[in-house]
Amino acid sequence: MIKRVEVNYRGIFQKNLGKYIGGDIVQIASRMGKVAFSNGRYSDAPERNGIPCKYFAFVSPDLSEEELEAECGAKLDIDEADVSVVVDDTMVKGVEPWGWHGVRAINEKVREKGCLLVVSQHTHDNLLQFIPRLPFSWRLASVEGPASLAGLWVYKDDLTRERVLGAIAAVDPGIIAIEAVEAYLLERTTDKHRAEAARASYDATLRNIRVVKAGEGAEWHHEIPRLPTWKEFEDGGVVVPAVPRGFKMGPRGQTRNDAFKRGTTKSHRPVIRFDLCIKCTLCWYDCPDECFDPTDDGLYDVNYEVCVGCHKCAEVCPVPECIVMVDELKFNSDASPWEHHKKDAQGYIKWAEEKKGLDRIHYPHVTGTGMEIREGKYVPPKPEKGGAAAGAKA
Amino acid sequence: MATVAEKTNVWEKEVLLNGCQAVAQGVKLANVDVIAAYPIRPYTEVMDALSKLIADGEFDSEYIVADSEHSQFEIVKHASSVGARAFGGSSGTGWMYGFEALVVTATDRLPPLFVVGNRALDDPGAFGVEHNDALALRDMGWLLCWASTAQEALEHVLIGYRIAEDSRILMPMALAMDGAFLTHSQHMLKVPTQEAVNRFLPSFDLGKRVLHPDNPVSIAPQVNEDWVMELRRQNWEAARRARTIIPEVYKSFNDIFGPRYDNPFFDEFLCEDAEVVLVGLGAVKMPAQTAVRRMREQGKKVGYVNLRWFRPFPHEQLRATLGRMKGVGVIDRNFAIGSPDNGGIVVQDIRSALYPLAKRPVVTDFIGGLGGRDMSIADCVRMLEITLDAANGKQGDELVTWIGLRE
Repeated sequence: MIKRVEVNYRGIFQKNLGKYIGGDIVQIASRMGKVAFSNGRYSDAPERNGIPCKYFAFVSPDLSEEELEAECGAKLDIDEADVSVVVDDTMVKGVEPWGWHGVRAINEKVREKGCLLVVSQHTHDNLLQFIPRLPFSWRLASVEGPASLAGLWVYKDDLTRERVLGAIAAVDPGIIAIEAVEAYLLERTTDKHRAEAARASYDATLRNIRVVKAGEGAEWHHEIPRLPTWKEFEDGGVVVPAVPRGFKMGPRGQTRNDAFKRGTTKSHRPVIRFDLCIKCTLCWYDCPDECFDPTDDGLYDVNYEVCVGCHKCAEVCPVPECIVMVDELKFNSDASPWEHHKKDAQGYIKWAEEKKGLDRIHYPHVTGTGMEIREGKYVPPKPEKGGAAAGAKA
Repeated sequence: MATVAEKTNVWEKEVLLNGCQAVAQGVKLANVDVIAAYPIRPYTEVMDALSKLIADGEFDSEYIVADSEHSQFEIVKHASSVGARAFGGSSGTGWMYGFEALVVTATDRLPPLFVVGNRALDDPGAFGVEHNDALALRDMGWLLCWASTAQEALEHVLIGYRIAEDSRILMPMALAMDGAFLTHSQHMLKVPTQEAVNRFLPSFDLGKRVLHPDNPVSIAPQVNEDWVMELRRQNWEAARRARTIIPEVYKSFNDIFGPRYDNPFFDEFLCEDAEVVLVGLGAVKMPAQTAVRRMREQGKKVGYVNLRWFRPFPHEQLRATLGRMKGVGVIDRNFAIGSPDNGGIVVQDIRSALYPLAKRPVVTDFIGGLGGRDMSIADCVRMLEITLDAANGKQGDELVTWIGLRE
């Protein structure tokens, strides 16, 4: 018997988290006398910020290491998953890791009675708005909390790792048992709080597993691209046809590469108040992915299909509240916001402010600087205790 | 790898390591003096792991980040010439970029060890495994072997230095390992104790050739037609000697660490009574052996030969094992475009090795797994079936089959 776990994570920001969870499963399972190993979907590894990636762990109570490796190790992707972990819930909208791969459903690999385990602050109903239906019954569980996002060389030690391990033990004790998780964490870290976090997450997850019936869930409209045979493309066909030059004014006016849109890379999207825009061009100019389409009224529409949520536009926009990054899961459409604004400016402003909300903390994970809004008001950063100057003297 | 016999005093506790980290542990245990590094996937994680060991204070070594693979390999070569145990590594086109330095390391008869995380040769850009990078060394006076597991990779850093630095050999050593499937897979591995490693691996002594102020010598002067043939012949002779010294080294390894390797040059899996075998290099061993086991359950007399050493090529031993077979299927995870019968690289050497036999097995070739495409158990079953058919006269013996190609 083989138990398969996949960890869907955001490239760079959760690189270490994904790898650590995979490695932890191997070490815990082997403490339990099982054979296990872990690897990543290697094509994901030249990671870029936010790209959806996968890490795997395979556990067997009865196979030899060689057989387990033969079944699971020589493959690029997992056949099916007993547990698909998602460490950033915005990936439930679909994942497109690289070109010619298509946008894939987050539960594509979840097997019958298997579990999709999502780190999320959203309700199961909310998540199911985005997750496509399957022809069989499966389970949805969550670890309550925000996505743990860090940098390339950084691992954010916020107990997400321990809590995910506890939750995996809850949804499928055949992979790892909670007692083994606790023993492992205690031995590895000698920190009982880590074991307690895993146990608390285990208990909370057990209380809240949603059985999703066959056919329950969202419509899915992304097709998996068919790759041509060796006779079907041009001899020496490493030359990919260029995207035609030029653009038209207006929404979706720029020509783009359809083989790789990258929109599933974002965990936040820029919400734009067109009425506040001073037409300074900075968002359009600085966007690394050229997501802003100039419109004939001097504004800049944003194309959410290709926006990767890098926060750059929100950082360079000189007008407070004009471009604000908002949790991607609050949206279920990639339609043009400029068209919405054009049709109904007041309605759009109300809608945009609702999405932004009155309470938010905005810390772009690239720069680490940001701002806090409480009850709709900007909260200036508190001076550090002792002050920076005192620290410098010491 | 042979069955793991436990000699508890020579192994530390099991630890979680991927293939790259396993190599780094081997480098640490070999107490390497100089490491030169330049990143390219999948090799990069080897240098990452080494720099971490050094930064964490677990390992003391001179660690130099070069400006390119060419400089990196030159640094390794020069370090070796002053008598330092030196380590480098690379992958794919990075490896090819440093090739001039690799070639002269062999002709200078210096014995550093390099790891090659096998990677496809760009263009187009590809990260996955393909064996052409390491195989490009095959005529250049290098020792060249493949690890098929991360555990083997760790052990072959130690075995590799011992062989390369043997005063009767003094050739550079390339340890190849499949990118992704081996380099980036995390397993629980046994790490040998330093004490046991010290018993196995003596310190490096370059003898009279060492470049040192107390020993003024000139290395690699211009010699032209007066000397080159004689030097080549010495190199050739060293590779010949290596064929007898390699088994000595494995015997010594087995004596210390338990009987881990039955046959230094290749592993035979269910070959004794086999009529048809596949031969492959690297990580394809796992699905291939599982395929063999499944076909055995159906009464098919099949086996698998995991070819570990490619240079020196173990032609005599392979002749003895493969010569008994009705059919041999060679798995080439490489391309040799325009070669005889349009096959891969490995099949050419196997065919040559078998040619002197009066009764030869039918040899078929498979090209697969290029650019990192997976080779599954089902693929291996198919290769065995095609080889069985060929052995039974249902196919010609010039057959080359592409496995996993979109047709």
